[in-house]
Order: sequence, then structure tokens, then C-alpha cells
Amino acid sequence: MPLIIKDEYPEKLFREDGKRLDGRDKHELRPIKMEVGVLENADGSAYLEWGNNKIYAAVYGPREVHPHHLAKPDRGILRVFYRMSTFSVFERKRPAPGRREKEISMVIKDCLKPVLFLELYPGTSFEVFINVMDADGGTRCACTTVAALALADAGIPMRSLVSAVAMGKIDGELITDLSGIEDKAGEADLPCAMTWFNEEMSLLQFDGSMDLKEFSESLVLAKDALTKIHEIQLETLKKKYIEIQEESKGGENVK
Amino acid sequence: MEHEKDETIEETITDNNETEEIDEYEGEETSRDVVVPGEVLTEDTKNFLPGRGTIFNKDRTKIISLNIGLKQIKRNYINVIPLRGFYTPRPGDKVIALVTDKNPVKYRCDINSKEDGILKPKNTVKRGKPRGFRGGAPDNYDNSTEKYDIGDILIVKVLSADRLNKPELTTVGKYLGKRRDGLVISIDPPKIPRVIGRSGSMIKMLKDLTKCNIFVTQNGRIWLKGEDIAHERLLIDAVKKIEKEAHTVGLTDRMSEYIENEKKKRGIN
Repeated sequence: MPLIIKDEYPEKLFREDGKRLDGRDKHELRPIKMEVGVLENADGSAYLEWGNNKIYAAVYGPREVHPHHLAKPDRGILRVFYRMSTFSVFERKRPAPGRREKEISMVIKDCLKPVLFLELYPGTSFEVFINVMDADGGTRCACTTVAALALADAGIPMRSLVSAVAMGKIDGELITDLSGIEDKAGEADLPCAMTWFNEEMSLLQFDGSMDLKEFSESLVLAKDALTKIHEIQLETLKKKYIEIQEESKGGENVK
Repeated sequence: MEHEKDETIEETITDNNETEEIDEYEGEETSRDVVVPGEVLTEDTKNFLPGRGTIFNKDRTKIISLNIGLKQIKRNYINVIPLRGFYTPRPGDKVIALVTDKNPVKYRCDINSKEDGILKPKNTVKRGKPRGFRGGAPDNYDNSTEKYDIGDILIVKVLSADRLNKPELTTVGKYLGKRRDGLVISIDPPKIPRVIGRSGSMIKMLKDLTKCNIFVTQNGRIWLKGEDIAHERLLIDAVKKIEKEAHTVGLTDRMSEYIENEKKKRGIN
């Protein structure tokens, strides 16, 4: 029997005890798990589990540009390929890249560009392949976060990492880190990303309705959430090397 | 004629010119702090200057890291020694190349950098000494690409390399030329100094203990040939272990211990 999922949303997005539908507080992030160096043949790679989102990112480069006419003689280019798997959403997603995927690829590219030194690698390309295995709201933010990790893992010089999170408004209240259902049924959606070398916004999109006071308030709340995400990113990158260091130290102490 | 010459070169290849490379991982100034891109290394900008792999922030109030690596303070410079990265060819480097394509005027070689290296036939034969009739080109001077085939492994030297043009290679020189036997393995290029060790200590130890002939090149590829397959396997395992533990302290001692233990386990001497 085919699984039928009704295209209906609940009337209230807050439970009676004041928590959100998945049991979170208003400004609580979903559980985040990150890993680097997961793919053998890529120059750099990362894996991210953010709530129900499961995303792989692979980085190649610097390498020659194909097709060759895209190459720029004075700087390198960054190419981002955001793709969703056919099984990542409830209704089968057609595998051909659509309008939405091209837009998100462009958005992530523009978001990552300011942290790279593209002018040092003329005539070459850096390529980021992002594949969404499972999607549940806020994939563009999660993809930006994981792409920055993969770039750092590839050893490409960067000014800083990039972290992203989606703010929103449901039932008249501001919340952090929208899930899939809150994204669709809520009143507003505000994905934002930050570069840490100058603490500037690198991505800011807006969808829905919110007054100016709420808007500036959510940007302040976003910074708190982004700081938490940035800490997890730093910890993930270091963990791989610190574990080996401690292993070798432990071996010496035993002897 | 040329082929016979190659054979003699092959037999004499025992030493590695790259042993002069200093071991930048080992040193009193190098801390074992792993830093990541964007991490603030110091806010004391009066006494320190950004060196390799570091940069000032916009207001020149902090020095931040650009790479994932180890923090190092040398005099008043702060450097970051990368743990991951790619190979950038520099003139004078000796690298292992794989011939991927050829046409009548040049060979294309994969040297593990962002662009393929170009090997011209005039750079594959010794010039100057054997002169032909009335000082012309020698009789065996053949300006075509018949010497090497696609798929050949060559040890080449980089003649010229910059950001804009493709690197130019040569096979004329000591130890350079085609390799007909042995194995080639590749590791992460930033970890090559660790395989060589401080003034070649690590490579010397590996050679003595495994009785293998080894040639380490800057682009992350290592050519090796041993007495038998068991020794070669042991050496490959050892190199992979060095790559994995490149950022730890006292690696040379630990590696010699590891090889001795493995020899007993595997029953080879």
C-alpha cells in the first residue's frame, strides 16, 4: 500500500506546554553532528546531520576548468553544485536540477566567495558538490555550513569559516532554526549566514512578513545561534588531529 | 643509445637530494596547537608579524590563521604549518610525473598540481656534447616524442613554474629519467617534510631498516623498490603511518620501534 502523506499543516505550531512541535524551546537548535574527511577520493569532504537533514559535501581543487571558456585569466572561480537526492523529500524529487537548486547553488557560491583568496589561483576552479540525502527545512543554511567545513578540510586558504542558520516567525513569535513544517506553515523565514573574519552577514534572504523591530531582534538572536554553530565547526575540524595526538601520547605513557 | 644510459642511471639511484629539506614540523618553536581557518592567533600586533599561512584582520588588531595546521612562532613571525593542502610547483623541484598525453611536439605530464606539466623533447636529451657534422645537430638527435610512452613514470625536474603558465619540465640531470621498476605511492603533499625528517633522519632510518630504495618527491609521490614484496609492504605501511601521525611529537623514534615490532610479527629481517 502506498504511503499517503496528507498535505495539511496543524493549526497551531506551539504545543500546549509552550514548546514547539518537536519539543524544542523557542531558541533551541536541533541536534547537530558534523564529521570531516568522510569521502576517500575528494580533496576535502564533510558530513552533517542537523535534525533530520543529512548532507554530504565534497571539494575538489584548485584544478583546471571544464568547460574551458568559463576560466577567468585574472582569478579562480568557485562553482557550487547543490543537489537533492530523489528520496530526500516525501514526494519523489525529479533528479534534473531545477530552478530552486540552481538558485540555492548561486546563493551558497556568493556566500562562500568572500572568505576565499580566488585571486591567487588564476585560470583554475574550486568545485563544491553538495548532496542532500535527507531534507527537513533549512537545507540552504545547513549546506553553507557543511561546504565551509569541507573547504577547510581540503586545505584551501580561507579567511574564516562560514556558519548559517534560519530564523523565523510562527504564530506571532520569533524562533530560531526552523524545521520543515515550521518553514511551510510559519509566517516568516529568514536564512542568514555570517563570515567570522569581519563578522559580517554573507547571506540574508527573507520570505514572509515581519515588522522592522522583529527583524532587527531576530538578527541579534541569529548571532547567538551562529556562535554556537561556529564552535561546533571548530571543534569538528580539530577533533580529527587532536585524537591522533592524544593516541600517540597515551602510547608513550604506557611504555 | 639513450635507453642504455637510462639503465645506468637507474642502478645508481640510492640517495635523495631532497634530504636537505628542513623538518619544519620538528622544532622547539613549533607548538602542538592545532589551529583552523579564522582562528585568532594573537592580538599582540606590536610584537608579532604575520608569516606563512596567516594574515592581519581588517583593522590590523589581530593575526588570524588561513589554514588548518600547527601554530609556530619564529622570532617575531607567526606561521601556520598546514596539515592539508595541495602541491604548487616551484623551479628546481624534483617530482614524479606520469605521462598522460603526447603529441609530436610535447608530452603532457600529471605532476599532481593544478596544471599538467609540459615536457618538450629538447629537454629529454643531453645537449651540447655530441655534436654532428660541422657542429650541427648530432646524428641521433631526434626532435620528436618517441622516447617515452603514455603511462610511463618519469622523475623530472621543474624548469619554470609560475601562476599563469604551465610548468615546464626536464629529464636531463642526475637521478632523472624513466623508471622501469619499483612502486609509486602518493601521500598528502604537506606531509612530505615529515617523511624526510630533520636533515634526512627519517628517510635514512626507513632505508636502513627496510633495505628499500626510496625516492621522495615534493609533489607527494614516493618511488620505492625493495628486495622483496614483504619489505616493500612494510615500508608502505610505515609511510602511511607517518602520514597519519605527521603532527605528533617524537615520530622518528616511534617509527623505528614500530618497524622493529612489525618485522618480528611478519617474520622478516
